[in-house]
Amino acid sequence: MEVKEPGRKIPLVGSLEGIMTVFKHSLMKPVTVQYPEEKEYTPDRFRFRIFLKLDDCVGCTLCEQVCPNKSIKMETVKRENPRNKRMIYPDVNFGTCTVCRNCEEICPTDAIYLTHVFETSRTKNSFLYSPEELSKPEDEVVK
Amino acid sequence: MSLLSRTYSIFSILGYYASTFITYLIDSIILLLVAAVAIILTIYFFRKYMARVQLRIGPNRVGKYGTLQLIADALKLMGKESILPRLRDDLPYKVAPILVFTGLMIAFSLLPYGSFFWIGDVFISNSGVGIILLFAVLAIMPIGELLAGISSHNKYSLTGALRSVAKDISFEVPMMISVLAIVVMASARTPESLNIASVVSSEILPYGILQPLGLFVFYIGMIARASYSPFDMGESESELVSGYSTEYSGMRFGLFYVGMFGTILLGSFIVSLFYLGGYNGPYQWNLGLIYLLIKAVVVIVISFTVWLTMPRIRIDKFVNLGWKYLFPISVINLILAGFLTLYLGW
Repeated sequence: MEVKEPGRKIPLVGSLEGIMTVFKHSLMKPVTVQYPEEKEYTPDRFRFRIFLKLDDCVGCTLCEQVCPNKSIKMETVKRENPRNKRMIYPDVNFGTCTVCRNCEEICPTDAIYLTHVFETSRTKNSFLYSPEELSKPEDEVVK
Repeated sequence: MSLLSRTYSIFSILGYYASTFITYLIDSIILLLVAAVAIILTIYFFRKYMARVQLRIGPNRVGKYGTLQLIADALKLMGKESILPRLRDDLPYKVAPILVFTGLMIAFSLLPYGSFFWIGDVFISNSGVGIILLFAVLAIMPIGELLAGISSHNKYSLTGALRSVAKDISFEVPMMISVLAIVVMASARTPESLNIASVVSSEILPYGILQPLGLFVFYIGMIARASYSPFDMGESESELVSGYSTEYSGMRFGLFYVGMFGTILLGSFIVSLFYLGGYNGPYQWNLGLIYLLIKAVVVIVISFTVWLTMPRIRIDKFVNLGWKYLFPISVINLILAGFLTLYLGW
């Protein structure tokens, strides 16, 4: 293979090219998204936050079994629901959830599902969502 | 009418000496304030421009579009504790930043700024030997940097100061020779060829077109005088922590910072006055200041683009550049200027 030797350029031409490149960049649009004021574009199928319909959940524990990193644990909730006699519902730890959507796929009653909500930052030192918290919208969850 | 005579006419009741004193005092204070605001605007513009080059937004939180960010920074610097090194040389350590700032401000007061509608000619001093005075005052600032480096008792400061002195020595001579070429050309057109105002008004064709080599050398000289990249040997951020200003904190550091950006502003004024036609143009009795400002802003944009493009060159390479390239180029430019003046009568 032949290596191409860099030819001798006229002095200052390379510098001027660099200067022009820098100047052209100053006319481009900035890529910064100023997050709280303006939201970044999210695709239609973007999913993050898991929601739970308490009335539909039958407590089959399939979501707990299918969760690859054991983010879902079943939890007892004292609640009248004729379809859920054992009164167990899933809770989700978003600290370890990888949003693989296996729980949503396997759920026989479509009780557990993912949405595009992604602003789950909180001041508590835990990302564990209890079943009641999973059924509430994100604003009403105590953070 | 000029700014001076307007102020004088207000205070003329007080008699000659008192009114002259008060006139110069008030005009100097006005100049100080205007120059400080202009420097703050320059710093703001630099931060915005650098951000846009790097595809960022830049300061945008304090005030609308971040306009008050620099004032907030200045207040922060004033409120900070000044930490002094224990083994410092006390007097030079404290004098150095003041020397840099004072030299800069005196240099600002020596320039003519053209005229503006009602105010008339804007100048503080109209000395007959303004050019010599200007470059003599500009030579004060390196002394401040040297004092800062030596008195800090810090190896980084000392190395930075020595580098900055080596840099100053190697570019000042070519710069002064290219100024001499301007004086040579101006002397054929005006009897007062050392007065900045008459030099500027003698530019029928801007000297930058007649002496492109001189413009090149002088512009590189002004970059080196303001000591920003590619010639920021005095600071050498990546090698010497912060060069001669390593041991400075609080407002003393702020004065060095202001000195640097002020020199960029001053340099762009000088380049546009000497080489780009200054305040000459149609309706210059009303719009002269505007013309000068537009030219200065263009030069500032070019300076900042150069700053953001170039990496720092090594100190020995810069000394080579100064003595082996810039010096002969400036001498050739001087000879060409003499030839054009004497034989072609341009």
